[in-house]
Amino acid sequence: MVTKAIGVTVNGKGHELALPPKTPLLNVLRNDLELNGPKFGCGLGECGACTVLIDGVAARACTIPLAGVEGRHVTTLEGLGSEGAPDIVQRAFIEAQGAQCGYCLNGMIMMVKALLLRRPDAGVEEIKRELRYNLCRCGTHLEILESALLAATRLRQHG
Amino acid sequence: MDEARLTRASLLAESSLLAVVGADCSDPPNLADQATSLFLTVHGDGSVQAFNGHVDLGTGIRTALAQIVAEELDVAFERVSMILGHGGLGPDQGATIASETIQITALPLRRAAAQARRYLLELAAVELKVAPENLHVNDGTVSCDDGSNRFVGYGELLGNRHHLLRLTDDVALKPVEQHRVIGRSQPRVDIPAKATGSFTYVHDMRLPGMLHGRVVRPPYAGIDAGDFVGRSLIAIDEGSIAHVPGIVKLVRIGDFIGIVAEREEQAAEAAAALQVTWKPVPSLPDMDDLAGTLRANPSTPRLLEDKGDTPKALAEAARRHRRTYLWPYHLHGSIGPSCSLADWQPGGLRVWSGTQNPQVLRRDLATLMGLHEGQVEILRLEAAGCFGRNCADDVGADAALLSRAVGRPVRVQLTREQEHAWEPKGAAQLMEVEGGQDAEGGVTAYDFSVYYPSNGAPLLAAILTGAVSSTPTVLQMGDRTAIPPYDYANRHIVCHDMPPIVRAAWLRGVSSLPNSFAHESFIDEMAFEAGVDPIEYRLRYLHDPRAIDLVKATAERAGWTPRTSWGSAGSEGDILRGRGFAYALYVHSKFPGYGAAWSAWVADVEVNRKTGEVAVTKVTVGQDSGQMINPAGVKQQIHGNVVQSIGRVMKEEVSFTEKAVATKDWGDYPIITFPELPLVNVLMVDRQSEPPLGVGESAAVPSAAAIANAIYDATGVRFREVPFTPERIRKGLGIPEPLPAPSAEPARGRRSRGRLLGYAVAAAAAGIGLLSNFTPWRSAIEPVARPLPGVYSDATIERGRQLAAIGDCAVCHTADGGLPLAGGRRLETPFGTIVTTNITPDPDHGIGNWSYPAFVRAMREGIHRDGRHLYPAFPYGAYAKTSDADLSALYAFLMAQEPVAASPPETRLAFPFSLRPLLAGWNALFHDAATFKSNPEKSALWNRGAYLVEGLGHCSACHSPRNRLGAEVKGPDHLSGGTVEGWDAPALTALSLAPVPWTEAELFTYLRTGFSPLHGPAAGPMAPVIASLRDVSDDDLRAMAHYLADLRATRTSEAEAAEQAASLEARASTSMPPSLSQGARIYEGACAVCHAADGPTLWGSRPSLALNSNLQAARPDNLLRVILGGIDTPAYAELGYMPSFAAAFDDEQVAQLLSYLRSRFAPDQPAWTDLARRAGEVREILRHERLTRADGGS
Ligand code: FES
Ligand code: FES
Repeated sequence: MVTKAIGVTVNGKGHELALPPKTPLLNVLRNDLELNGPKFGCGLGECGACTVLIDGVAARACTIPLAGVEGRHVTTLEGLGSEGAPDIVQRAFIEAQGAQCGYCLNGMIMMVKALLLRRPDAGVEEIKRELRYNLCRCGTHLEILESALLAATRLRQHG
Repeated sequence: MDEARLTRASLLAESSLLAVVGADCSDPPNLADQATSLFLTVHGDGSVQAFNGHVDLGTGIRTALAQIVAEELDVAFERVSMILGHGGLGPDQGATIASETIQITALPLRRAAAQARRYLLELAAVELKVAPENLHVNDGTVSCDDGSNRFVGYGELLGNRHHLLRLTDDVALKPVEQHRVIGRSQPRVDIPAKATGSFTYVHDMRLPGMLHGRVVRPPYAGIDAGDFVGRSLIAIDEGSIAHVPGIVKLVRIGDFIGIVAEREEQAAEAAAALQVTWKPVPSLPDMDDLAGTLRANPSTPRLLEDKGDTPKALAEAARRHRRTYLWPYHLHGSIGPSCSLADWQPGGLRVWSGTQNPQVLRRDLATLMGLHEGQVEILRLEAAGCFGRNCADDVGADAALLSRAVGRPVRVQLTREQEHAWEPKGAAQLMEVEGGQDAEGGVTAYDFSVYYPSNGAPLLAAILTGAVSSTPTVLQMGDRTAIPPYDYANRHIVCHDMPPIVRAAWLRGVSSLPNSFAHESFIDEMAFEAGVDPIEYRLRYLHDPRAIDLVKATAERAGWTPRTSWGSAGSEGDILRGRGFAYALYVHSKFPGYGAAWSAWVADVEVNRKTGEVAVTKVTVGQDSGQMINPAGVKQQIHGNVVQSIGRVMKEEVSFTEKAVATKDWGDYPIITFPELPLVNVLMVDRQSEPPLGVGESAAVPSAAAIANAIYDATGVRFREVPFTPERIRKGLGIPEPLPAPSAEPARGRRSRGRLLGYAVAAAAAGIGLLSNFTPWRSAIEPVARPLPGVYSDATIERGRQLAAIGDCAVCHTADGGLPLAGGRRLETPFGTIVTTNITPDPDHGIGNWSYPAFVRAMREGIHRDGRHLYPAFPYGAYAKTSDADLSALYAFLMAQEPVAASPPETRLAFPFSLRPLLAGWNALFHDAATFKSNPEKSALWNRGAYLVEGLGHCSACHSPRNRLGAEVKGPDHLSGGTVEGWDAPALTALSLAPVPWTEAELFTYLRTGFSPLHGPAAGPMAPVIASLRDVSDDDLRAMAHYLADLRATRTSEAEAAEQAASLEARASTSMPPSLSQGARIYEGACAVCHAADGPTLWGSRPSLALNSNLQAARPDNLLRVILGGIDTPAYAELGYMPSFAAAFDDEQVAQLLSYLRSRFAPDQPAWTDLARRAGEVREILRHERLTRADGGS
């Protein structure tokens, strides 16, 4: 097996990773770059807990190997904002209390972020459709929807 | 979080400290004593730490408990940090179960805070020289009431010493009127960190020098009782993981197997690849007849109540009603599969865990590892919401065993499949009721029996290793809310305590949810029998004033209108509307237990009378929680319980094979999704002066009955088995199956099955051909020196590069992960594995010493420079058509590449295929070495396309059928479809099964990008071909597309194709709602996210199944290969990847899925038969292919 370094930009920072090309992106982010925002939930693309953005589009990091993001920009939950300076979507989830255990929260925030990047005026039905395949066991759906709507409203107000 | 790092030593080292310690500690209290448990500490800087034995399972108790402490201690909420479930420091308050935290375990904490405040005030009184009554406190600062502006902070009062207070009972708590923190909504303290990725879940914990572990579980998935448990392993083939790098250790103890590796994916790969031989697994009792199985499970009846004379009352009743209610197995279904870290050191073990029972886990680990409890330290970190006993404890034991085996810290992450299959399930439950009604319709007798097969689920590793017996214990937990809230004159209530049938333990609502389902369904039925409104009827038997208030308030909030017959809510088209009521007091903990919050539901439903689908459209839910510490938190818990329980009641059910749990992913076990959310209207009764009650489970308890009663109201039919799936509703309503039976006849013009079998036989002779009587060796062509650089112009080399791309040279002559053109790729043929050769210009290992004539001979005649015959897996039949000019450019290109001095392994076919000379005869029969002849009647574009497709492109090598001798069939069957490496290569002619005809434009797009919106992506062996075409000019690809499009007799315009595609999509989207069958649900849970036309926008392509020819194919192999093997090397990354579902689905589930896909997306094609068997075969083939590939790589 020939391992040549694979270049990828994560949260704005360039990395050269000498790892086998099939290494799951999720493992690279969590174990090599210590970015814990994306979570392992199923490894099958079914739950959305591992969602990141690839070039601004939502992606399920558990099903994508490192080779898939070569030369691309990956954004994780940490790349949006921090506890001291949360991004507009993160802030909405904090204010509307869009989490119980919060394990699904990464996926919810990243999906909403990706949606609003694309369609800032998304309404409730569109948000529900977009989040349909993001699973939450705690039943936090109502608060999550409220958070997403709050983020959308804020975005419309403040651009 | 500091929480996990806090130790007794760090506390002892502090100079100023006040600690309230457990009443059972030594006298005088000694902080250094391990047995001294802490409730509360106040520190020199005025900060406060408060301890509770329970943990936050995502319900927000961390916030609520901090509110209680802040209130009683009179400090700002922000000053308090909660330390939850700290095995070494906090109080042992048992498992976090049964809604006990706020109701029970918070009480001593509250007293501790009040006691600390009283003590600090006494200190302040001395310090400030005023009576304690004349002091007041504001955020930990004590000041005098005399206006003297003298004050002192809690921290200062401590001085440089430790103050230890033993918890007492005699402190006064603050009266409600003075509350300023309790009763106010407080944002959860954990959400900001969770929303920004800085929170440390147990999954996120990492230790220096840590290794990664995975476990391999036995085939008796989800079973932990029986002689065979722990004694079924026969052998492990260690060689099966020899190819995986980074393996540190393979650990086997009894039936416990673990693998430790340097990296997580290495451990995962090895765990998936490890070949283990197990003894056959005994059968389970019949899980399709759950009621019968529960009745037959050995049990001990336990009388819970015997009031009046029930037999007599039944005998005298005007009407008797026997009813059976059945509850399925449910999952806890944490979104994060359990994870744990362990660090084994001589003399002790530390485990980082998401357990809900730190104290219990500590004891169990001590037993398993042969340690004293004091040598085990549990550091509790949050995990994904668990709602009861999931695998969190089990994985801690796994990590402990693996850490001990390697002497380093090990992190073990369970897979989704393992968590689903092995978590102790929420138990199935059977409720049998016999009731009697008098002539007026009143209930006179109620005879109730419940069967609940569950216990505490002993630590799995302890059972698998044999450290603990696999004879199951029995826990008495079937009695929760077994006594109905209705005061019938004669009641006889029995709980049949029984051991588990499959691994099971408590799940939110425990036995109370099913028991209430029975009570509330039964009374509803009796009300209608009696012709009385069901709420009015309930109130006749309900005497608890708070219950009565709640029922009335909830009914009023919902706008309940009294009714005495079903159908009150009307209908519209196929939709029948209904509304149902249920009430429950969740009674938890050891019988007779305590009541948690009271809850009542009014549910509105819509039932589709054609499909049997039920939508819960609105829930009005009332709750009396007593005092609410954090009203926002209470509301969130009510929401969560309502939403989660709707999913449980409508959709959820664990499935079984004959021997084990079959459920291994969210496809087989769907939970509620956003589009299914009802409107939820919450009513919270104001009872701030009453004691606080647990709110973590109550609102789930009335769910099933309220929905069942609403379905009755809509349809007039009672449903007594959960979940209320469309199949069950259809059966109950007598609706015929809406699934169109796939037509029995293949559509006309399509290839029939028999014909395809013929191809399969021919394909068995494909790859190489053979014949017997010729044995001529051809002469060798003398070796030459490699042409010097500069002999060929850059332009020629560039042209050669493009030609090599069209000819896919690098596709076959490059191993997985190997150097380009250095050979080593293994091609599976029916005659054996052919290993491709090194065609770099290395003189010894490659073709560096080949003269141009030798190269031309190989390309046109299939002869090696040394005279050997090449196997026709090398497509010289097609290459022969290439012009001299192009061959020379190709030669120039190859000679200009980097030489690689390495030889891949020799191809060794078994006799007689090993006899290369036989190929001479084969060539005589089938080979035509003539170059391409253009067709003057066709355009230049067509001729260019034909030259490339039929020549270097060698499309027919895969896309043409082969005869029995492995030669391509010419004539009308040319390019009419073939097989390659187990894949069906579709027909490129009019025989194509593509649902929409290929147009020239779509062909071009497909060749250029690897994806056609009207057909889908290139997969299997076509993916690398597309990738190779990357370097080919648009003009040449257009020519190929033009020629290929012309192979069809009739041309289709772009507009027609787009229109056909749209109508196929529309047909597929309306034909079958996704909840109709198990196969449909698997599609919805596992496939639709990436394949549904209206799915979310995700990176990668969105291949439409309605347009995909693999669903139309005569055999399911391509589809099986993709589902079981995944797509890990697409032509281009941006097309996206697909995971393998081999571990998630068994053959039966694959068959269910494929039948559904076929009937939904290829309704004109005959159903595939024998799918489960074929799935098993393809699974085996793929495993074999992986192994040979792995061998090649090593
Ligand atoms: S972990 Fe990636 S989708 Fe579930
Ligand atoms: S908040 Fe727990 S899974 Fe969504």
